Amino acid sequence: MSKILNIAWKELYITYTDRSLLLVMIVTPLALATIIGSAFSGMVGGGGNDIPVQNIPTAIVNLDAPTEFNGQTFSMGQTLVDLFTPSGDAAQDADNVLLALTDAAILSDAEAARAGVDDGTYSAAIIIPANFSQSLTVTQDNLSLNVAPVEVYTSRAAPVSASIIKAVTENIVSQFVTGGVTVAATIGELVERAQEDVGFGLQFAVGSANWQPDFAPAFTPDSQPITISQQTVSRQVATFNPLVAFGAAQALFFMIFTAIQSANSLLYERRDGTLQRLIASPTSRLTILLGKLLGALANCVVQVALLFFFLNIVGIVLSGRMQIIWGDNLLLVAAVIFAGSLAACGIGAVVTAIARTPEQVNIVGGLIAMFFGLFSGAFFDLRSLGDLAILGRATPNYWAVDAFTQLSLGQTAITTNLLVLLVIGAVTFVIGLGLFERRLNV
Amino acid sequence: MQNGKNGTLVEVRDLAKTFKGKNGKDVAAVKGVSLDIRQGEIFSLLGPNGAGKTTTISMISGLLAPTRGDARIGGYSITRQGIDAKKLIGVVPQEIALYPTLTARQNLEFFGRMYSMGGAELTKRVDEVLDFIDLTDRQHDKIETFSGGMKRRVNIGVGLLHKPRLLYMDEPTVGIDPQNRRRVLDTVKRLQSEQGMTVLYTSHLMEEVQEISDRIAIIDHGQIIAGGTLGELIQQIGEEDRIFLKVGAAAISEAQLAQLRRSVEGVTKATHDRREIKGEDDAVVDVDGVITVLAKRGRKALPPLLQAAEEADITVLSVEVREPDLEAVFLHLTGRALRD
Repeated sequence: MSKILNIAWKELYITYTDRSLLLVMIVTPLALATIIGSAFSGMVGGGGNDIPVQNIPTAIVNLDAPTEFNGQTFSMGQTLVDLFTPSGDAAQDADNVLLALTDAAILSDAEAARAGVDDGTYSAAIIIPANFSQSLTVTQDNLSLNVAPVEVYTSRAAPVSASIIKAVTENIVSQFVTGGVTVAATIGELVERAQEDVGFGLQFAVGSANWQPDFAPAFTPDSQPITISQQTVSRQVATFNPLVAFGAAQALFFMIFTAIQSANSLLYERRDGTLQRLIASPTSRLTILLGKLLGALANCVVQVALLFFFLNIVGIVLSGRMQIIWGDNLLLVAAVIFAGSLAACGIGAVVTAIARTPEQVNIVGGLIAMFFGLFSGAFFDLRSLGDLAILGRATPNYWAVDAFTQLSLGQTAITTNLLVLLVIGAVTFVIGLGLFERRLNV
Repeated sequence: MQNGKNGTLVEVRDLAKTFKGKNGKDVAAVKGVSLDIRQGEIFSLLGPNGAGKTTTISMISGLLAPTRGDARIGGYSITRQGIDAKKLIGVVPQEIALYPTLTARQNLEFFGRMYSMGGAELTKRVDEVLDFIDLTDRQHDKIETFSGGMKRRVNIGVGLLHKPRLLYMDEPTVGIDPQNRRRVLDTVKRLQSEQGMTVLYTSHLMEEVQEISDRIAIIDHGQIIAGGTLGELIQQIGEEDRIFLKVGAAAISEAQLAQLRRSVEGVTKATHDRREIKGEDDAVVDVDGVITVLAKRGRKALPPLLQAAEEADITVLSVEVREPDLEAVFLHLTGRALRD
């Protein structure tokens, strides 16, 4: 293990004591992110650092069939729709932050809504299923809730807006469900007690004879208003810092270069003879490989961490207030940095293992980094790519940038992003390690 | 850790290596080399480029897996106990295998750790090596700021760091000036005399090998074609002197050479080499022709040889007589000069 660390430390030391490399790895992406971020900030937000996100074009399709209860009709789908549409009461509408946040269009056709998202008309489509109200209804015989999921069809080209709509919808639906679960739990407890306590059971049986067998959806707008607070929407959800998106995209773009070049150093070492010297030492080949790859990983992690630190300082200077632009959950930010670096290093290892010469790695690596950069929004808004934007999902950059953006908006549902990055990292690392073995045949 | 019979440190048996050629056919780079290197001797492997000496050494030092055969270093098989065998070997490659942006000291410390050295032991040993290669005052300078000779010394220092029993030096004087070459050769001799180190030395420079070697093996076409001390090798060619007759651009026929061989007693071989000398524009500006004659007691044979040359209508421009040396041995055994 000490030899692996020795090699990794050497890699890190050589990289971070090279001034010209630091210029490429840190100063250039920092400058680019600052320039692009400031340009967007000035254009949209009037010189501030945060861009208030508003009027997100959103399609809403309500397929929900109302459910009957005690002579009354309940439609939870319509309740959901009403939250996104003006009520006609000016005072009430002024308090509804969703009206400012979204620009909702009510459609009747789910396919049309999805097509609208695909062609860029909408950032997201909320599609309420036909049995939504029914699924939120608790019966005496069946106290479990199987909530029909509300589909939020999102635009690949507008990840920030789409993720906001997704988060808001999930928040609202979860409040519907919480109400249902509470009722179910209460009834369940009563039934259980009736079975255990004979006296209570008799009273419960007499009383329940007069009850309706079904219970209305527990959530009603009158008794339990939606609690998406103004603070949450304005401070975390509805503000978007362009430094985060462009900074993260630039950091990832340059990190791919670092990862590939770090892996490429193995071929340079072979050319310079130092690899032969390492192999001639009493050190296993696997140890040498792991040391090199750990060094590459460390290079990437340190690079992105430094860039994020400096970008945060830029963010503070531009906004004139103390803040952490990456969000409050720094642990998850660190996890994404690690997972993204792992994926990048794995890809670097595969590229280096396949190429014959360091020059080939430089060419192929450059093309890959450019592709990854283009499809992760390092240079322009992904929406301009249209349908091609989906290609971004094949890149670790996309998943990492998306995760950083979500974290900066206060959302922590980045499990998929982390998993994708870790899987890319693990698979490419193993493939790279296997292929690298032949590179050690000197 | 043990030595073999009669203090043998390195035993190489039937070592062979076959590569896949560009046309897909197997190319035998080394065809079953066997040799012994004794503890404390300087053993040189001599051969022209492409003869198989680097491949042989790469297998002995564990860089390449042999296709066949094995080598034992201090009793450890390089194929089955590679890590143990490698602990006994110090490698000084032909190229400057150092990290240019690290200092001399950092390079030594890094490679020292690869030999499981650390702490005070490593610090002390690095100090000793820096002193030995006479670079203590430049230890904190980056390698990229060093002259070629200084880099070469650090390159050697890295190989010495873990006090190996066998030091493998691959053409360590290539590309350096005569002063630094002398320094390297002196270093090799000091390692043997002061530390009793066994040195496996490869070179294509006859004079170097002749000067420092206790024993020499000549390798050609992937096979050892002769081995022993310099005296033993010279004995193999009958201790003949070499007489060089410079003839300039004149064309020399086989009949004229045969006349030289026939006419002078003691002459065993007469060959003609013609070398074109080219100018800057690659045009031939001169031709340098030499007749090489092998003869017992060459100085005595010289007068009748010049007489015979005149009779054979050969105009001799100058004459040189050389005592038997390694170059003569090589020429005799391979039929070509080492530089070819």
